[in-house]
Amino acid sequence: MKLLTRLWIGALVIALIAWATWRWAAGPRTTEPTQGARIDSTSAGFKAARLFFAAPSGDSLVSETREMMEVQSLHDRVAALVRELDRGPTAGAVAALPPGTSVLHAFLDDRGTMTLDLTRAFQQGFRGGSTAEYLAVGSLVRTLGVNLPEVKRVLITCGGAPLSSLGGHLPLDRPIEVAMLP
Amino acid sequence: LKPPYGRGALAAAAGVLAVFLSSLAERPPARAAPPESAPVRESDGRTWVGANDLARLLSATKFWRHDVRKLVLRAGDHRLLLTADNPFVLIDDRTVLLPDPVRSVRGELQIPVALLESLPRDSTIARLHVDLRRGIVLQVPPDGLIGTPRIAIESDATRLVFEADQSGGTAVTSRSRAHFLVHWSGAFVGTLPDSLPAGSLVRAIRVSPAASGSTLELEVAPEAAGFRVTREPERRRVTLAFAREKRAGDESFAPEGPAGPRQLKTVAIDAGHGGSDLGVVAGGVAEKDLALTLARLVSAEITRRLAARVVLTREDDRAMTMEERAERANRARADVVLSLHFDGVPAGAARGATAFCPPATYAADPATPATPSAGAIEVLPWRDAAMRHAVESRALAERILAAIDLRMPEPTRLREMLPCPLLGVDAPGLLLECATLTSEADRARVTSGAGLSELATAIVDGIEAFQASR
Repeated sequence: MKLLTRLWIGALVIALIAWATWRWAAGPRTTEPTQGARIDSTSAGFKAARLFFAAPSGDSLVSETREMMEVQSLHDRVAALVRELDRGPTAGAVAALPPGTSVLHAFLDDRGTMTLDLTRAFQQGFRGGSTAEYLAVGSLVRTLGVNLPEVKRVLITCGGAPLSSLGGHLPLDRPIEVAMLP
Repeated sequence: LKPPYGRGALAAAAGVLAVFLSSLAERPPARAAPPESAPVRESDGRTWVGANDLARLLSATKFWRHDVRKLVLRAGDHRLLLTADNPFVLIDDRTVLLPDPVRSVRGELQIPVALLESLPRDSTIARLHVDLRRGIVLQVPPDGLIGTPRIAIESDATRLVFEADQSGGTAVTSRSRAHFLVHWSGAFVGTLPDSLPAGSLVRAIRVSPAASGSTLELEVAPEAAGFRVTREPERRRVTLAFAREKRAGDESFAPEGPAGPRQLKTVAIDAGHGGSDLGVVAGGVAEKDLALTLARLVSAEITRRLAARVVLTREDDRAMTMEERAERANRARADVVLSLHFDGVPAGAARGATAFCPPATYAADPATPATPSAGAIEVLPWRDAAMRHAVESRALAERILAAIDLRMPEPTRLREMLPCPLLGVDAPGLLLECATLTSEADRARVTSGAGLSELATAIVDGIEAFQASR
């Protein structure tokens, strides 16, 4: 009986040593299962946003999903989206927004019309023809429309003043309907 | 007994093989997906969706607690707690048991799609729909889903009846018979027939994802005289009806002009930019100079080949406002207006020609009133006068682009957007970006004398084809 007890205790000790060795050899477990997520104890989290840039061929807009810090106010959300557009794509596309563009004011009325007042860099930094103009406006309006579903159309102003056109090819004196963009 | 390193090598090889096979099994299907969607992954007979994709579709904020391997998704008023290798998910104060545990694959949590059935259903959280046929999870837009249409062909009309969660977000965005566009705020999840029966007034149907919802493109027969969109929210359906004879309440298509060959008596050619407005400058070439040279070549070619008078909005290097250009074209009673430009895209590898023409949103005449007292008057601002000629403008653009395609190696594209040079112009017309100056190949071609002459010939080929056919 004593022999049996000793055998049991011996087997248990061996099993414990084997388990401890296995745990040590396995090392720490993966700690990054989800990119872009934050520790729950902080007050801010990350949220995915779809940003539209120009395809290198200039034929269309292509989207890129990016993790962005969560912000609450409409102005901050719009400003963050435009800031990411200005930062440019990470790969496979080209920036469509004139460099240095940022948001001065954003106002959304109860019918879904957003008045977006941009810095003068939007107009002064623009270079190119109709396609560059189409892609710049499309990149902006589609990004806002997709990430802020309450935005149905966007009226772009610049430096607090109305903007008739970005480069003289496409009129901006009226709001651009999100639904009219292909 | 085999040596330990032998087992390790075998295990490593098996692991590599397993990862390779799983990557094959989990590759998302290679077909076009609507914008707000994510691929599902089939593995071990189960269907999974990535945690990052799920968070994006739910517009959720993510919090990851690496010490306990828990992911919190906060969406609207709701909170989801997912734990790696655990089948229990906490949704607000409910615990849901999934058929499989949440798993970690190559650094991302994968969640069984069965979870979607247990998600809360209220206005603060997005509704998701699993479309296994297309292998996607779709974010249902606020206006819901649109299903497969039922097509009814009668002797005098063709009806397309769509099942739709909500019917409010339906709008006709192009009234052209050849490119009839209907925008839906909802997402289309049905199927469309490859071909339509004889006698149908609708010849083809295509659907494409749009910025917010879906766009349905129809090719409508020339015999159709009117159409009607009937929204029935209580029956959750929308009917598009096309009739051979226009009845009370029917809407009109966009004006198309008289049948037969077109008579072009006057052609207005507008050379873009001028004076202090250089336009695109690339490789020492200014757009304003090239546009003027091309305008003169096109003018000479038209005079030589067509019995039409040519009016140039500017004949030298001077700045002109858009209003002045439109006034010259209107005063000359131009039958077509062609605004010549050269494109530029600072970054990327853009090249080729692009035509911008007005969208066909204007109706030939207002909807026939259902009752005599309910007459409607549609006012079109003078700024938008060119919209009355949208169908003709597109026909002209298509023929010019086809002619350029035949003679030039560069790609061509057409966009429906009213351009500035056509504001206040009462004639069919287009803005033609003839080539892309920021592309070295395009620039080399159009700055050679022969290249620019060939371009002028192609443009007049297109005008001639437009004049001869309908």
